[in-house]
Amino acid sequence: MKQQITVALAGNPNSGKSTIFNALTGAHQHVGNYPGVTVERKEGACRHNGREMKIVDLPGIYSLTAYSAEELVARDFIVNEKPDVVVDIIDASNLERNLYLTTQLMELGVPLVLVFNMSDQAKARGHEFDLEKLSGFFKARIVSTVGHKGLGVNDLLDAVEATADGAGPGGEKVVIDYGRETEEEVSRIEALIQAEGAAQAAGANAAGYDARWLAVKLLENDKDVKAKLHSPAIDAQVEKSARHIEEVTGEHPETSIPGHRYGFISGACQEAVRSTIEIRHTMSDRIDSVVTNRVLGIPVFLLLMYLVFSLTFTLGEPPMGWIETGFEWLGGVVTGWWPEGSESALKSLLVDGVIGGVGGVVVFLPNILLLFLAIAILEDSGYMARAAFIMDRLMHKIGLHGKSFIPMLIGFGCSVPAIMATRTLDNQRDRLTTMLVTPLMSCGARLPIYMLLIPAFFPAAWQAKILWIIYVIGIALAIVFAKVLRVTLFKGDSVPFVMELPPYRIPTVRGVLIHMWERGWLYLKKAGTVILGVSILLWAISSYPKKEVFDQDYEGELAKIEERMPAAEGDEDALAALEGRQAALENAQQEEELSYSIAGRIGHALDPVLKPMGFDWRIGTALIGAFAAKEVFVAQMGIVYSVGEADEESDSLRDKLRDNYTPLVAFCIMIFCLTSAPCMATIAVTRRESNSWKWAMLQLGGLTAVAYVLTVLIYQFGRLFGLG
Amino acid sequence: MAYADTLTASLEDYLEAIFHIIAEKEAVRPKDIARRLEVSNASVTGALRALAERSLIRYAPYDVITLTPEGKVAAKDVIRRHEVLRDFFVKVLAVDANDADSAACRMEHSIPKVILERFIKFAEFVDVCPRGGAKWVAGFGYYCEHGVESGNCENCISLTLDEVAEARKAKGVGGAGMSEKLKDLKPGQKGKVTKVAARGETNKRIVEMGVTPGTVVEVERIAPLGDPIDIKVKGYHLSLRKEEAEKIEVAAL
Repeated sequence: MKQQITVALAGNPNSGKSTIFNALTGAHQHVGNYPGVTVERKEGACRHNGREMKIVDLPGIYSLTAYSAEELVARDFIVNEKPDVVVDIIDASNLERNLYLTTQLMELGVPLVLVFNMSDQAKARGHEFDLEKLSGFFKARIVSTVGHKGLGVNDLLDAVEATADGAGPGGEKVVIDYGRETEEEVSRIEALIQAEGAAQAAGANAAGYDARWLAVKLLENDKDVKAKLHSPAIDAQVEKSARHIEEVTGEHPETSIPGHRYGFISGACQEAVRSTIEIRHTMSDRIDSVVTNRVLGIPVFLLLMYLVFSLTFTLGEPPMGWIETGFEWLGGVVTGWWPEGSESALKSLLVDGVIGGVGGVVVFLPNILLLFLAIAILEDSGYMARAAFIMDRLMHKIGLHGKSFIPMLIGFGCSVPAIMATRTLDNQRDRLTTMLVTPLMSCGARLPIYMLLIPAFFPAAWQAKILWIIYVIGIALAIVFAKVLRVTLFKGDSVPFVMELPPYRIPTVRGVLIHMWERGWLYLKKAGTVILGVSILLWAISSYPKKEVFDQDYEGELAKIEERMPAAEGDEDALAALEGRQAALENAQQEEELSYSIAGRIGHALDPVLKPMGFDWRIGTALIGAFAAKEVFVAQMGIVYSVGEADEESDSLRDKLRDNYTPLVAFCIMIFCLTSAPCMATIAVTRRESNSWKWAMLQLGGLTAVAYVLTVLIYQFGRLFGLG
Repeated sequence: MAYADTLTASLEDYLEAIFHIIAEKEAVRPKDIARRLEVSNASVTGALRALAERSLIRYAPYDVITLTPEGKVAAKDVIRRHEVLRDFFVKVLAVDANDADSAACRMEHSIPKVILERFIKFAEFVDVCPRGGAKWVAGFGYYCEHGVESGNCENCISLTLDEVAEARKAKGVGGAGMSEKLKDLKPGQKGKVTKVAARGETNKRIVEMGVTPGTVVEVERIAPLGDPIDIKVKGYHLSLRKEEAEKIEVAAL
């Protein structure tokens, strides 16, 4: 008797698998990634009758054919890690389709327990199951559950325990008959696999799979199995067999093998399932007749998207403000530990680097939590699939999937949660394309830059139009790049849009909260550490090296002003003049310091590169700072122009800018900020979500390069036409 | 029909009996009628007089009885009504032949022509419509005896389709004309999948989601922008782009 039982949960998407997982493990969950893919690995633990059970929640899949990364991960897990029991969660109200995965698990010969989840709904829809008979067909214990009420969970654990202890049924191989022609070819290939395996042990790659299973998979044209076996002799035989089967039966085995599996299922169901009533129009159909209606569908969709957007950003704003104030207060407290005017490097590191950095990470949390609250509700209720259904026509035109719409929309608020939202996309290529182009949706942090520059350089009549043009350019570029990516890096057949529209369900509070918490925590842990590191680095390069000898004797001058202050007491004008002089000196000193720092030096060094875009070192330095967060650009410009603390409403900064730049340069700055590498938080999140630095770096480099070329073109053409 | 409206139920029975007896032995005597209808000779005499008054029969005491041309028409009409009802009870409603006969006897007099015609039309329709057919009626009989039907509707529909296809082939209509693409079905239309012509990943996914040859699918709706479509298969909803639906061949139902 094993003390620790490893249980893998398998099942179709929307079968209520997460609900069962949550019911089994409660809060004891751990989320990670499978190596090399964007598929999430969830684990949890529970105790039953004093025995430890490790529960692995496999990704939701329809089949085990290696069609998607999810399916491959699930298959490899079952075969390589050999869980003691595989629990297959089945939506009992949609039995036949759900049992398809079961037939495949059965063919793998793993110890299986079937869970007929949502059995209450199945009953309400008039299905009656002869569980004993079904258990006989599928050679596995069957347990009825109602996941969201936690009913049957204990029975499930009992069944798992009994199956793990080898008290049958479970684990006996069930053979599906694929018809005479196919069977003959299967045995032919099987023999060949066994011969090859014995001869050169090439089967080592495919160890753990039995020969019949491999033969069937090969006939189904499973590329993964083909690569694993890597035998030209077998491939040739498979091709011959497939052709033969198609000639004789008129169907390619790719079609006929799944057909036979469904045949097996419908045979079993005919004997063991009774449908007493047929409800043609369920509640779900009635909702759909409104929600996906030809006329109402789009307005309803837009309304819901508006709600998601405003929930995320409007409701998120106050807590973001509290977080900012909180961190400012904390900074103030820490500053208080040093005597006033102290130049301690540790103080600067703590206040500007660490507290500023952590603040910069945590500040996104309200947005992320709220967005994932909304997404969890959309997904769990079943609306997400409808949103994709409605938007697919539009998104497919630019080479994306209907589900890409939501991340791109969220991108107008903030790229960080938007990129996290790409998780709803099932296909790796769609997911990466969306992730890479999402930063082109002009995010909220870029708005202060536009707000500073547009009123400074453009007449009132033009202001709204310019802003509109900037946003449209962003969208147009996203469309172009999505297309370009689809024909270059992510080439290949367009992914079929064969998507289930699951019945509408009321999301459970617990499920939604767990989902929201998971996302928030992942963001803090994974993206947060990267963001914090980069913040400290950015702090360091804009603070060091310290300038010891200044061009002017600021200390002396400031001291002199201090001395004259008491004398000017009472004389308003004189006092104001002194204070103005004091501020100017302080600003000038800050400017000198920044210019002397590494960031400033990089800005200077980049001067020749920036020239073609019409930028000078000041803009360059500010852009480096803007990598921390786009809105920092405004504050940095304030510093390099010695106007002190500046925000997007600062008229003194606008005056300075007007004196130094032309409207063309201002437009170029906006275009560059729109297209260039988004903030480091975006890059960090892309790294985390794509599970690879490669894509994060491609996003950083690619967008910067595009921004550069585009800005240079605009500036040079602009000058050619005398706009500069 | 005028006679049916004016004749009483019992007079119709007499007319019917006379017709049958003539068919059997050419000559009719009152006592044959009395024996057949199990009534007394006296009532037969009264009824014959009434029928003669309406000039449906030629009747004189101690002579053989014959039907006038009008009488023949009226008798045939009664008999036809009887037969239609009896056949309907036996063939469609799966009632025992003797019970059907006696019920038909009682109903034949009062049933209006319109409804009678509908009975006939319905029986004919059931016989020829591919959705019904003799098997469908047989299924009803089974249902009456054994109660609730098992949920094997898709198989049954597939079988029906095969029959239709064969019937058409026999008539020389040819099977090619009825094969359509799933894409071309309108919302609410059903079709049986005959072939999935896609290849590779797309094919695999379509088939694995349950759209296998022989399965009945129904187009539920089309997305507001005209693509993709929502189909019902194996009791659940699946969405497909038109480019994928183009590769699925169906026989429209």
